[in-house]
Amino acid sequence: MAGKYDVIIVGAGPAGLSAAIYASRARLRTLVLDESVPGGQMKTTHKVSNYPGFPEDVKGTDLALAFSTQAERFGARIRRAIEITAHDLSGPVKTFELDEEDHVEAPAVIIATGAKPRELGAPGESKYRGRGISYCATCDGAYFDGKEIHVIGGGNSAVEESLFLTQFARKVTIVHQFDHFQAEPVSAAEALESPRIEVIWNSEPRAFLGETQLEKLRIENVKTKEVRELPTDGVFIFVGYTPRTDLVKGLVRMNEWGYVETQEDMSTDVPGVYVAGDIRSKRFRQITTAVADGTIAALAVQKFVKDHR
Amino acid sequence: MSEFVKEITQGDFEAEVARSTLPVVLDFFSTECPPCEALAPKFDAVAEQFAGKARFLKIFRQGNKDLASRLGVTGSPTLVFFQGGTEVGERMSGEEIKRTAIKAQVEALLAVQ
Repeated sequence: MAGKYDVIIVGAGPAGLSAAIYASRARLRTLVLDESVPGGQMKTTHKVSNYPGFPEDVKGTDLALAFSTQAERFGARIRRAIEITAHDLSGPVKTFELDEEDHVEAPAVIIATGAKPRELGAPGESKYRGRGISYCATCDGAYFDGKEIHVIGGGNSAVEESLFLTQFARKVTIVHQFDHFQAEPVSAAEALESPRIEVIWNSEPRAFLGETQLEKLRIENVKTKEVRELPTDGVFIFVGYTPRTDLVKGLVRMNEWGYVETQEDMSTDVPGVYVAGDIRSKRFRQITTAVADGTIAALAVQKFVKDHR
Repeated sequence: MSEFVKEITQGDFEAEVARSTLPVVLDFFSTECPPCEALAPKFDAVAEQFAGKARFLKIFRQGNKDLASRLGVTGSPTLVFFQGGTEVGERMSGEEIKRTAIKAQVEALLAVQ
């Protein structure tokens, strides 16, 4: 027999957990599914400095734990490390098969699966993933103790994670395609002043090279077209995100970059299917905006569920 | 950790992995690694499913750096598969490792045995 809920939220990042807090507070039977542990991208962010309510920097993992603890306090059930092996969101009853054995259903879902680190698509990238290429500084930074590494990108993640990596690496060289950082001015200035950080501007990676393990990074200066090969102990890639839309592909309307189009109340074209957070088509993607999306989605779902009982 | 997964150190590699008659799945993990925490329950579940048919081992990467660098493992979590002491199949790495994918690869190893 299927586990019946009022709302099933997929994704336990800031959007999904905020939705869970509001939904469970409203006495909706609330289930949150996540393929990992709660926190979404927060949990691999080493520190968060701009989330209101925390006058000092807070570790991403601590913030993630605070969100999930609060949701569970109000009765939301969070299922961790779950794989959705089948689903149907098109009809009035939304169903999920979990780990090939378990079934759950609800009249409404909030898809808050967010976005994952974008891959560059350069040759060698998948071959050396875990053999010198990483997308998670908190996970793999300590391995590069005393080493010389490269970071690809120039946005907030690239610059802030580079600063974090200087705790371990002897030298961090940032390779960025433009002639200035897109990151916030405070972190950008800190990186430019760091004695352990060097920047190669106007350059893009063209290939990752090595025997069994990554040894060299080939870059091209986009202005002069000069190509160079740099010896490296490791490369961290932070070049933006791509939305995780597997559950709703072909079902709801998306923009040209694959983000889901919603109404202001986070509803989609399909009745009972709401989306919230980074997966949604919008201008700014921050923890605060994800929290707002999740809140709005949960409030809209409350009304939807009441009207359809 | 479940009773179906055994933690080893690099000193045990010969006996536990290289000389194992069963296929081995070796999980390199780290602390302060949310993707590793996420993998653990999936790894435990698959280990239980294949109890007696394949061995599921885990090893702390920072504490066993020599073996990690010998195998060229720089990311956590990384799953490395062995058959008759030789590495086989595709490694799996990062947050996106799915339970069904681990299962499929172990089944493929058992099929060629």
